[in-house]
Amino acid sequence: MAAPVSTVGKPSTERSPFNTTSFQKKTRTKLISIPGTRPSVQNGQLLVSTGVTSLDYLLGGGLAVGTVLLIEEDRYDSYSRMILKYFLAEGVVCRHELFVAAAQDNPDDILQELPAPILDDVAIHKPVEQPRLSCEPQDSLDAMKIAWRYQNLPKVQSALASSSRFGHYYDVSKTMEPEIRQAAKCHCFYLPEHPTHTMLESYSALLKSLQEVINREGFDVAAPMTKSRNILRIGLHSLGSALWGDDLSCHDNPRNGHALTTFLYGLRALLRSSLSVAVVTVPSHLIQDRALMGSITRLCDNAIALESFKGSERETNPLYKDYHGLLHVRQVPHLNCLASKLPDHKDLAFKLKRKQFTIEVSCQVAVHSFIFNRRDLLRKRSSRQQPHFIPEPINALEWQYDQ
Amino acid sequence: MLTELLQGTDAGGFLIIQDSASYSGRHLLKSFINAALNREEAVHVLGFEVSEEELKDGLKGSPVQRLHFHNAYTDPLGWTDQPSFTVHQFCLEELTRLVKQTSHPKPATLVIDSLSWILRHVSAPAVCKTLQQLRKGGAVRAIMGLLHVDMHQRGTVGSLCHLATSVITVAPGMKGDEAVAKITKRSKSGKVVQDEEIFSIKTDLTVVVQSKPSQLGHKQADPEEQETDPTANLTFNLRLSNTEREAKEKLALPFVFSKEKKTALLHSSPGSGRILYEPDANDDYDQEDPDDDLDV
Repeated sequence: MAAPVSTVGKPSTERSPFNTTSFQKKTRTKLISIPGTRPSVQNGQLLVSTGVTSLDYLLGGGLAVGTVLLIEEDRYDSYSRMILKYFLAEGVVCRHELFVAAAQDNPDDILQELPAPILDDVAIHKPVEQPRLSCEPQDSLDAMKIAWRYQNLPKVQSALASSSRFGHYYDVSKTMEPEIRQAAKCHCFYLPEHPTHTMLESYSALLKSLQEVINREGFDVAAPMTKSRNILRIGLHSLGSALWGDDLSCHDNPRNGHALTTFLYGLRALLRSSLSVAVVTVPSHLIQDRALMGSITRLCDNAIALESFKGSERETNPLYKDYHGLLHVRQVPHLNCLASKLPDHKDLAFKLKRKQFTIEVSCQVAVHSFIFNRRDLLRKRSSRQQPHFIPEPINALEWQYDQ
Repeated sequence: MLTELLQGTDAGGFLIIQDSASYSGRHLLKSFINAALNREEAVHVLGFEVSEEELKDGLKGSPVQRLHFHNAYTDPLGWTDQPSFTVHQFCLEELTRLVKQTSHPKPATLVIDSLSWILRHVSAPAVCKTLQQLRKGGAVRAIMGLLHVDMHQRGTVGSLCHLATSVITVAPGMKGDEAVAKITKRSKSGKVVQDEEIFSIKTDLTVVVQSKPSQLGHKQADPEEQETDPTANLTFNLRLSNTEREAKEKLALPFVFSKEKKTALLHSSPGSGRILYEPDANDDYDQEDPDDDLDV
């Protein structure tokens, strides 16, 4: 028996920008929901977006509140600074509070350079280069002859992105409007304004300042829940560089290694007991002591390293011509669990485009390593010598397996 | 790019010339001093490594009066009673006072010969802090320093160059008086430009830049190599001749629809799934449906 079909006219509930359905749970929960956060699907942790959706996907959906993300800077500090700016810009858009500390540049200057958000919330699809043989004429991409039913569907993107619209997209060529930026509350810590007696006290001054801000503004988890809660986003630029007063990046065997490690330990303790999240950038290419770098990595929860191609010989390598650098995931966090979700792919490369910072699995790197590993097994029949690695199509007729 | 750097650095610029035992960068430093003097800037030189006469050798004419040499060569550690300039005076207050002593309308350029000497007696973080404060303060317009790379650990050199806006690394070239300069310049917007040039310095301290060094080693055949065409060396033919292509276009595909039907199917509205039910003979289609009074 078929009921007469008429669209059931339920008044559509107001869609908030962070929900994709109009379904609202009826139970009254004790948790106050904070704008800009969502619970993780894996372990229920409260997550915030880093501002880069590909990075959110790599970190397992987002950055968990109460953790530290360590970014090992690239050689000229261009991309790590960009990610820090994305993180702070996401905080402004989600109406979180910001805390920025720097020793080299004034934090106000960093805040002036935040990228402008793209306010229509549609995910941007990038067209994929259609592989085509040189003999076939170019069909116009609009009118597909055979697969015409798929014409209007969006094209597949190979960038890593999660399906829900958690983060925002930013336009790097424009800076954020001053009205939007001033709507967010920012606390700045510029090291030359806090002179200390000895140079090693700069980290403890920073930690004290952070603790004071957390207590005063009520980010402590133990604080009474009188007003609405918010998240504090902490951005610490270039810790471990010589301007913070320690010699980690100057000497091969630094004597002040304990200063930064103690600070990170105290920072993590402070974060675990408050509603805040921190992103720390460290110039790891200057730190020669690998054991110290390892302990710094262990003291942070998430750690990624950026390696830019600028200035290295990889810049001219045709394998890497689409990308700006490689991204290595050094550590994933174990939060309230025994094992953590490791990223599926190890060969990640990043590309900074105007509207998106994409992190992709660089397939060519994977093919290159496949060929390179198989070279000792395969013997080419033709005498053509290739001095460099361009992935060639493995044509079964021309290659023989060496027994 | 070397000539651009010689013509002037932006305010707040910090230039480091890295040299080694095989080629001294002091001639290039003197060329920079000469260029700054010719631009009518006041230049203050902290001379630790060479004496005043040796540094001023080659600089001629009236611009030399704008060169203020602070003698740290004779007594840098203050062993005598009246040292002229000691290495312990390398801090913000002393240097600002020193530069402001000579009244000149334009802010001065500070040249340090050499940073390596200072790094042996003052800790590297303190040197970095002083240089950063000098750059941010208004007393000095630009700073140029000479750094001997083979005297320090990699981290020290890296930390100093991390602060610099331009770094020139000089190395000996192929022929006698030529040298190779690798230049890295960071602009304020964060863009990094790199270049490599061959240059030589004439006796009047002008720099002649020759063509870029010929690409040797791994750079040789890469740009000219075309992408290998996968259809080239096969034992079967993947290409189409023109007649073959026309025949292919004319072939009617089995499930091809006319254009109108395609657009109709494509642009159908999203919620257009309809259930069309036609009651069969066996169906009991009762006009009086007991469910009718439900408000669904």
